[in-house]
Amino acid sequence: MAFLLTLDGERILDVDLIPGFLHRGFEKMMEYRRWDMDLVMSARICVEDPDHVELSYTHAMDQIFGVDPPERAKYARTIVAEFSRLASHLLWMMHFAGPVAARYATSWAIAAREEVLKWFDYVAGHRIYHHYIYPGGVRWNLPKDLKERTLQVLDRVEGLVRDMERGFFLHPVFQRRARDVGRLKASDAVRLGATGPVLRGSGVAHDIRKALKYDAYGMVDFEIPKGEYGDAYDRAMVRLREMYVSIGIIRQAVQQIPEEGPYRWRLPMALPPGEGVGRVESARGEFMTHIVSTTEKPGGRPLEPYRIKFRGPTMAHLTTVLKHIVHNEEITVADFPVVVGSLDPCPPDIDR
Amino acid sequence: MEMVLKLLGLGFRYLLRRPYTRLYPYKEPPFTTERTRARHLLYMDRCIGCRACQLACPADAIKMYKIEGEWPKNRLKIFPGVDYSRCTYCGLCVEACPTSALVMTDYTMEHLITEDKSTTLYTPEMLAEPPKGEHRVTFTKDLLKPPPQPPPKKGGGG
Repeated sequence: MAFLLTLDGERILDVDLIPGFLHRGFEKMMEYRRWDMDLVMSARICVEDPDHVELSYTHAMDQIFGVDPPERAKYARTIVAEFSRLASHLLWMMHFAGPVAARYATSWAIAAREEVLKWFDYVAGHRIYHHYIYPGGVRWNLPKDLKERTLQVLDRVEGLVRDMERGFFLHPVFQRRARDVGRLKASDAVRLGATGPVLRGSGVAHDIRKALKYDAYGMVDFEIPKGEYGDAYDRAMVRLREMYVSIGIIRQAVQQIPEEGPYRWRLPMALPPGEGVGRVESARGEFMTHIVSTTEKPGGRPLEPYRIKFRGPTMAHLTTVLKHIVHNEEITVADFPVVVGSLDPCPPDIDR
Repeated sequence: MEMVLKLLGLGFRYLLRRPYTRLYPYKEPPFTTERTRARHLLYMDRCIGCRACQLACPADAIKMYKIEGEWPKNRLKIFPGVDYSRCTYCGLCVEACPTSALVMTDYTMEHLITEDKSTTLYTPEMLAEPPKGEHRVTFTKDLLKPPPQPPPKKGGGG
């Protein structure tokens, strides 16, 4: 992913996205692999937030198989998805703090993310790609000491996030750097297809977790943070507040999760014909997976889906939204990293 | 001024903390847990040569190799070998194995780093040899056994 900027001195007049450097042809590759292999591959679509891609794929597959996951699995999915959001926002924090010269905040974000990655290793067996959320539930049972260990990790992460808030987000230099930069009105955000923190930063309190109440989100209390002015600072603050919201959701979920019970339904290997759509609120916005399974595929086996289509949030943010901001505001070269950083792009998601 | 003092205090607190980085490999081993998925271990006496692991591998990292010898359970005498330059450690091979012949240990990829590309291929004999360093068997099929309950039918699909 690269940007082609048209400049007049320091001012950016136009911006064009050049995608494709990370193109791996996921959607085509998945048509020739079994549905369980596709799940493992799907995590690679967004390196920073892999669990939401898995979750959206899993929801679509659950619909095709016609299963409702067990309650324990619903909570497990919610906990893992929120940890993934935390990890993603902390990595965004690192990317965002660097270009505005706050190197200390970068180190704190990485230290907090390390705690989250260790938690993933403890639950799922891997740090980055977890392959834990699975059609029909979750892949294996949660550890017995989940509650104590998770609460310990959350306490440490929350402490570091509070330090980041005091040391970076409320810092007057950062406020001056990000305030009134990259403004996006609520009506424009809706019109241009923005989702997630970019949309909420503009003041629209829309969240798929609240709208669809998938998995255990209907059983936990949480608020949707939103901004007021729609500038880079508001978008950053929405992400900061979302980290606290995620911590709150996980705390409730580990208290409410059933102690016993099944965590996964056994699914047949052959894929039944049908269609499924999975929509989830990923760290960057709405992530959607549409899967079509048919027995009429020429030369195909019933183990492979006929077609998989992903819709990630980043493409809209870096094309229509970014162009709109650059055309309607005096953005200089120095502001550009702040604007792009506040949109939290995920290049693998665009290129796929 | 107040803000500056607050930030200095915060900064000093971090200055006095223990460094977060692990002194790997000189003083500390790599971080692993009881579920870390890393190098495989092959029990050749259990393997029946069904190729389920090879068919399950999304990265095409597994190839079957013929090993001569007495293998009463494995008439074809074929066993899996893993190319670690391709393996993503997803564990689908362990899940697919009907006889639990393939398991994973927490002998992580840090130990498997090599400068010579030709050494990334682990033949069945190499996989059957337990890793030389400290390790534990972490990922077996037992972990994946789902309760034997049929999926409940839901009206109109999920």
